[in-house]
Amino acid sequence: MRVNPLKKSIWVFHLNTGSCNACDIEILDALTPYFDVERFGIKLVASPRHADLVLLTGPITRKTLPKVINALRAVPRPRYILAIGACAVGGGIWYDTYSVIGGVEELKKMLEENGIEIDKIVYVPGCPARPEAIIYGVAVLLGLVEQKVHGEVKIAE
Amino acid sequence: MSVKEIMDIIREKLGGIAEDIRYVESAGIIVRVKPVNLREASHIVHDVLDAYFRTMMAVDERPINNTFAAYYVYGLDDKGINIIIEAHADPYTPVLPSIADIVPAADWYELEAWDLLGIKFKNRKLHRFVLPDDWPEGLYPLRRDVDYTVRPSPRITYKPPLQGPRLPVGPYHPALHEPEYFELFVEGERVVDVEYNGFHVHRGIEKLAESPRFTYQKIPFLAERICGICGFVHSVAYTLSVENAAKIEVPERAQYIRSIVLEVERLHSHLLWLGVACHLLGYDAGFMHSWRIREKVMVLAELLTGSRKTYGINLVGGVRKDINMDKITAIRNTLAWLRSEFAKLADLVTSVPQIVRRARGTGILPRDEARKLSVVGPVARASGLDRDVRRDYPYCAYKDVSFRVPVYTEGDNLARVMVRVEEIFESMDIIDQLLDKLPGGPIMAEKMEVPAGLVGIGNVEAPRGEDIHIIITGRGRPYRWRVRAPTYQNIPALKVMLRDAPLADAPLTIASIDPCFSCTDRIVVIDLKTGKREKLQTVSIPGECGCEI
Repeated sequence: MRVNPLKKSIWVFHLNTGSCNACDIEILDALTPYFDVERFGIKLVASPRHADLVLLTGPITRKTLPKVINALRAVPRPRYILAIGACAVGGGIWYDTYSVIGGVEELKKMLEENGIEIDKIVYVPGCPARPEAIIYGVAVLLGLVEQKVHGEVKIAE
Repeated sequence: MSVKEIMDIIREKLGGIAEDIRYVESAGIIVRVKPVNLREASHIVHDVLDAYFRTMMAVDERPINNTFAAYYVYGLDDKGINIIIEAHADPYTPVLPSIADIVPAADWYELEAWDLLGIKFKNRKLHRFVLPDDWPEGLYPLRRDVDYTVRPSPRITYKPPLQGPRLPVGPYHPALHEPEYFELFVEGERVVDVEYNGFHVHRGIEKLAESPRFTYQKIPFLAERICGICGFVHSVAYTLSVENAAKIEVPERAQYIRSIVLEVERLHSHLLWLGVACHLLGYDAGFMHSWRIREKVMVLAELLTGSRKTYGINLVGGVRKDINMDKITAIRNTLAWLRSEFAKLADLVTSVPQIVRRARGTGILPRDEARKLSVVGPVARASGLDRDVRRDYPYCAYKDVSFRVPVYTEGDNLARVMVRVEEIFESMDIIDQLLDKLPGGPIMAEKMEVPAGLVGIGNVEAPRGEDIHIIITGRGRPYRWRVRAPTYQNIPALKVMLRDAPLADAPLTIASIDPCFSCTDRIVVIDLKTGKREKLQTVSIPGECGCEI
């Protein structure tokens, strides 16, 4: 399953929604000499308007919510999100506190209420997600590798 | 000077207004005063005894003694003893006098206490600080009767674009890697004032720690997630505070392992900062080199702890992972490589004109302003304040090693670069000494009991400065856990550094305090109404703060 609009090098926008910085420094780590994702054409851009892919970290705190919605509104279609780290995936250790929204699923609902559609979300769990995992997540999005876990949710009673 | 002599001095100075003076080994000398005398007591401790303002903890003590309490912690650095002023407010309409004009550093703490606990401070402006603007009035999340899962549904409003000579920086901006919002007021190319709106990373950590989801032994993992860069610092500060309060004997070997990991964390954090500073000055070669070197430190951290970040090896009473000979060899090899590589990088960074000419003389923080705002860490040391928690209030294994505390008097961005560069070399020496002296024995305390109702303070010199945690113990989990991250104390100094400086220097100056907003997550707002320059001298800084939350 190849995503057609992303055949060429993809540009990413880093959207920190209240993360503790660990995932963020791992993203930077992936961009610097040891992992060097720029050799794959992955490049960090300064504006969401230039982005093919949004690297979303953090549990989405209430205070960042309006700004996150604004930033995602500015991303051109197709709108792809790479949810990086336990917090972005499901709220992490603070999934139920008063001050956070609790992960990208909740955000998606709110975005839909605001008329913003998300075309695809790829989840990269980990606390923090390792640079290798982040690169793997991008490869999954591009259809270069198989997705390891499929969307079947089992909840223990 | 012994504790007794200090007690005598305090009795002499504060005897007239104190209701009670007692010494608690795990915290310091606690002086209880009536709210009416709070200002006078603060003046005596801060100005006459020249104690450094360290933190303030506001507590909802209604279930215990039917009051709201505030504990102001001051430190006598040269004696390594804390003086804590305790004041209690009425449970129905809690009001305390504001001390922000006597102790400017207390400004944010009062705003935070108002926002999260609903304690009013007289004779000052109070406003939303930590919580979002659409948070309902009268709902104070840190009060005991409010559940930690309360989640008022958000109202999403859009602000119109800025008018006039104001430049927004953030919350999503190429020079910031965290969501924080600065508004720079400019006249031409000069910054005349700055307004900071932070606490975007407030996640409700203090409240979460009081919830049934957590126990004493689980909180170190929560504390590590306060900050992804200096997380281990927070977990050590938390465990120290509990261990001090409950008098738990931590084995020597565990203390050494903690110190080694703390220094490894400092290495990676300072290298990270150096790279980001180079990047902001457009010197990307320095950025890439710095991060190339840093990667080895991350690999070393993974070898020692099993994880690149959020190490998860710390518990109340000790650590979970031991160090063996293989690991010691690996540390020594990495340090040898790091020393030669970093010496080259340090030569480069401190000599290329891209860095030196841009950093020298910019973002100046004079010594007296630094003292007034009680700044901490490399920011304080670059402004001539000789303060280092590792030396002044020794913890873990730092009493057994010798190291130099670099102090510069220039107070500019270059001085802050130099302090950090020298600290990297010192850290490598400290790790070497710790490895030489590493004692044998267990890594976990055998007996652990934490009775309720005790107070404990834990402090750690984080890469960004003094990190201080206060705890009041409860049953099974803390009754109240107050985290004060270094950036909380340093952000107010930005208004001094940025004022009257060229706009182009602003990103470096903001970065020069090594802001860690996830730690601090709270804010600074500076009033600037009319654009009159005179007004800028009387700045009020309402803020939020953050590393804790």
